Amino acid sequence: MGGTGAIQIPTGSILALGAILFCIGLYGALTKRNLIMVLVSIELMLNAANVNLVAFSRLGVSPNLNGQIFSLFTITVAAAEIAVGLALLLAVFRVRKTTEVRDLDLHRR
Amino acid sequence: MSPLWSAQMIAFFLISLFILACAVMMLSFRKVVYMALAVGGVFIGCAALYILLGAEFVGIAQVVVYAGAITILILFAIMLTNHEATEPEEPWTVRKALAAVGCFLLGVTLLFVIRGQAWPQGDPSVDVNQGMSNTLAIGEALFKSYMIPFELVSLLLTVALVGAVILAQQRKGDQ
Amino acid sequence: MVWWIPGFPLIAFAITLLVGRRLAEPVVAGIAVMATLISFVLSTILLLHPGTPGAVTQLDWLTVGQTHIGFGMQTSHLNALMAFVVSLVSTLVLLYSRGYMAGDERFSVYYQYLNLFVFSMLGLVLSANLLELYIFWEMVGLCSYLLVGFWFFKPEAALAAKKSFIVTRIGDTGLFAGIVLLWLASGSFNFDAVFQAAQSPGFGLGWLSGSGLITLVAILVFLGAVGKSAQFPLHVWLPDAMEGPTPVSALIHAATMVAAGVYLVARMFPLFALSHAALTTVAWIGGVTALLAALIALTQRDIKRVIAYSTVSQLGYMMMALGAGAYAYGVFHLFTHAFFKALLFLTAGSVIHALGGEQDLFKMGGLAGKLPITRWTFLAAALALAGIFPLSGFWSKDAILTALLAGGHGILYAVGLITAFCTAFYIFRLYFLAFAGTPRDEALYAHAHEGGWVMTVPQVVLGVLAVMAGWWNTPIGGHPIERYLLGDAGTSFFAGTSAGDIGHVYPENVLWMVISLVVALAGIGLAAWMYGARADQRAAAAASAAGPLYRVSLRKFYLDEIYESSVVRAGKWLARIADGLDRFVIQSIVYLASRMTYAAGWGLRLLQTGQVQTYGVVAALGLFVLIAIAMLRGGVM
Repeated sequence: MGGTGAIQIPTGSILALGAILFCIGLYGALTKRNLIMVLVSIELMLNAANVNLVAFSRLGVSPNLNGQIFSLFTITVAAAEIAVGLALLLAVFRVRKTTEVRDLDLHRR
Repeated sequence: MSPLWSAQMIAFFLISLFILACAVMMLSFRKVVYMALAVGGVFIGCAALYILLGAEFVGIAQVVVYAGAITILILFAIMLTNHEATEPEEPWTVRKALAAVGCFLLGVTLLFVIRGQAWPQGDPSVDVNQGMSNTLAIGEALFKSYMIPFELVSLLLTVALVGAVILAQQRKGDQ
Repeated sequence: MVWWIPGFPLIAFAITLLVGRRLAEPVVAGIAVMATLISFVLSTILLLHPGTPGAVTQLDWLTVGQTHIGFGMQTSHLNALMAFVVSLVSTLVLLYSRGYMAGDERFSVYYQYLNLFVFSMLGLVLSANLLELYIFWEMVGLCSYLLVGFWFFKPEAALAAKKSFIVTRIGDTGLFAGIVLLWLASGSFNFDAVFQAAQSPGFGLGWLSGSGLITLVAILVFLGAVGKSAQFPLHVWLPDAMEGPTPVSALIHAATMVAAGVYLVARMFPLFALSHAALTTVAWIGGVTALLAALIALTQRDIKRVIAYSTVSQLGYMMMALGAGAYAYGVFHLFTHAFFKALLFLTAGSVIHALGGEQDLFKMGGLAGKLPITRWTFLAAALALAGIFPLSGFWSKDAILTALLAGGHGILYAVGLITAFCTAFYIFRLYFLAFAGTPRDEALYAHAHEGGWVMTVPQVVLGVLAVMAGWWNTPIGGHPIERYLLGDAGTSFFAGTSAGDIGHVYPENVLWMVISLVVALAGIGLAAWMYGARADQRAAAAASAAGPLYRVSLRKFYLDEIYESSVVRAGKWLARIADGLDRFVIQSIVYLASRMTYAAGWGLRLLQTGQVQTYGVVAALGLFVLIAIAMLRGGVM
């Protein structure tokens, strides 16, 4: 396929896929009870954003590589995020013996 | 070939279906381990989509980082904490209902916005890779135009690595 | 240099405030006396070389829009004279206090207050504008309050402190209103700008013409002076203020602070000179005060109260002089009075100190042998007060009487003469009761002794001054003080005035001098006859013969009772209404507000579940709403 040539997929369809993926991720992040799954859902939302970035890299008004490079940065930051997030999770688990989000309400007490 | 039924379109539909199916499965599974695996499916589907859009490097990176590293990391985390964990059957609470309604409305709104807009379809004559291979082109861009962000991200990764090690470390006094 | 005159007492205040408690008594007193002494030396230099009258050195203090308010020091002949008097008397009193207050538990606090007072008082007399003057005016009031209530554990002292503060505040309110009116009309707090504006034809406010405004402002300013200088009808606080330590009475309630009212009227004299009505008011209030206080002083039993009423009476004299237009004579009397009245208090303090705190005149007697220095200095002060040739009081009092008669104020002249007679009588009644005759209380008498040198030296210095201060304004020397003071006229200090405006001066008249001298001698003679060596029965007989009149004087014309039943009771009713309002209306509003806040907080607490995901739901809904709004409006822009 390479970097040139027409892409017949309508831009709107890819964006719609991204939007739906985002909403699914959001719903997961808001309702999952396991902290790990909340983190995973957030990854899903980041992926939805990446889909949009890559799509616009090719199908934007002036196609260029910036979108792809941005998505690379996003992937890197997401990797860092999940590493720190899971480390936090382990630390919390050691202290409180739970990975349930609802138990993490120290803020309230 | 009509644009609607080109090979690309068919591939796109299949990939989309796969991605959404995996995502919905992730939502509906009860066992945490299955959820993690379903998410891996989503990541791989996205990678396929990137390759379909001509972003081979990003696609491969997606497979390596997301589908490979992150999914494995998640699985490890599950093993280390509570690998038997399941999402219990939960009654519909007000919060859950609100979350569902909110996400649904947000999605519908976004779709309306997307539909109500005329999107550019790209310029077929422009080569985003400027005649090079995609990997080479990205390498050129990263080390020329994006030098400083690139270094910053490497710094960020180092910090995250150190931070993760320190946080996950077993400390004296922790029981 | 001018800045240092109040500066040194301020430094001393800071030192005693910070480390005073840890210093020994002599060190605390030494610092204070040294600082004030330097101020005195500087004031003396200023007195001899005052430079251009009205010269101002000031800093920008506040800038509000186009209005610049400075904070500075102004020098002139009047200010220099005042600073000289204040710093001189302060130095002596601070020295004297070392002996009088020795051993007091709060010795360093006492010196703190006194240093602050000296600073404020020097600042007051050197102020460059009205607002600054008002600040210092309140500060001396505060110091007076603190010092009167210094022995606050005595209920009378605490009450007297409150009374002195509240009563003077009534006057201060008037002064403040006057300053605000002047500012509204002239747009400035500076004296020269105010005076110039008052003389310009366009002066006035929308609702008040120029001359009406001048009279109103002058009366309001005078109200401040009435409060501070204890003029009728606000004089009631000064006798009660005698609950404070006696050196305080000497410094604050005789020589300096109470004279601030007189200084204020003198400072604002160009304004008063523009209003005949205001001047007449000043003169008559002064006259009434002088006579009334002298009559009350005739019968008091407390040694300090007699002198306190005498102070009120003499301040009335000064006001009379100012009201009659004799600016220079009023200030001259202030000058001499500061010395002999401070001396009277210091000797009275010496007597009280010797008798272990006894203040009742009828328990004293025969102290002349025991307290020789006190006796002689008291005699000098008493003669000066009575106006006996050639002591200081004679010259200043006679100058005022001459001015009154020559200025066409016949009735006031008569009032002044009667007051002079009473003055001579009551002060020698005091002298004979305390120093002459035989001791009435042997135990107290046996204990009596002269204070140390710190107490006698100030007495002697003031005694010399009480004798000689008047010589600086005799016809022989060509009236130096008179000429000195009138040098302010026409300068920027008294902008737009001429010598004729600010002071009428009159040549001495030998006949009138002899009359006032005879009157004073008659008073002394009567006192000697009634209270002299073998005359106890005569005084009692006279008291019973005078009957109701005696009681009226003894009870101070029932003024305290009248105030108690009218003003104070009305005030208490007002307070009760305000209390009810506060308790039932305002408090319930406050309670309601607090309840509402509490209920709102309780409601909001429900939102604060600590569950991250709940917050997320809310945020997602908010995001949806925002996007929906953007979509419906057709874009974010």
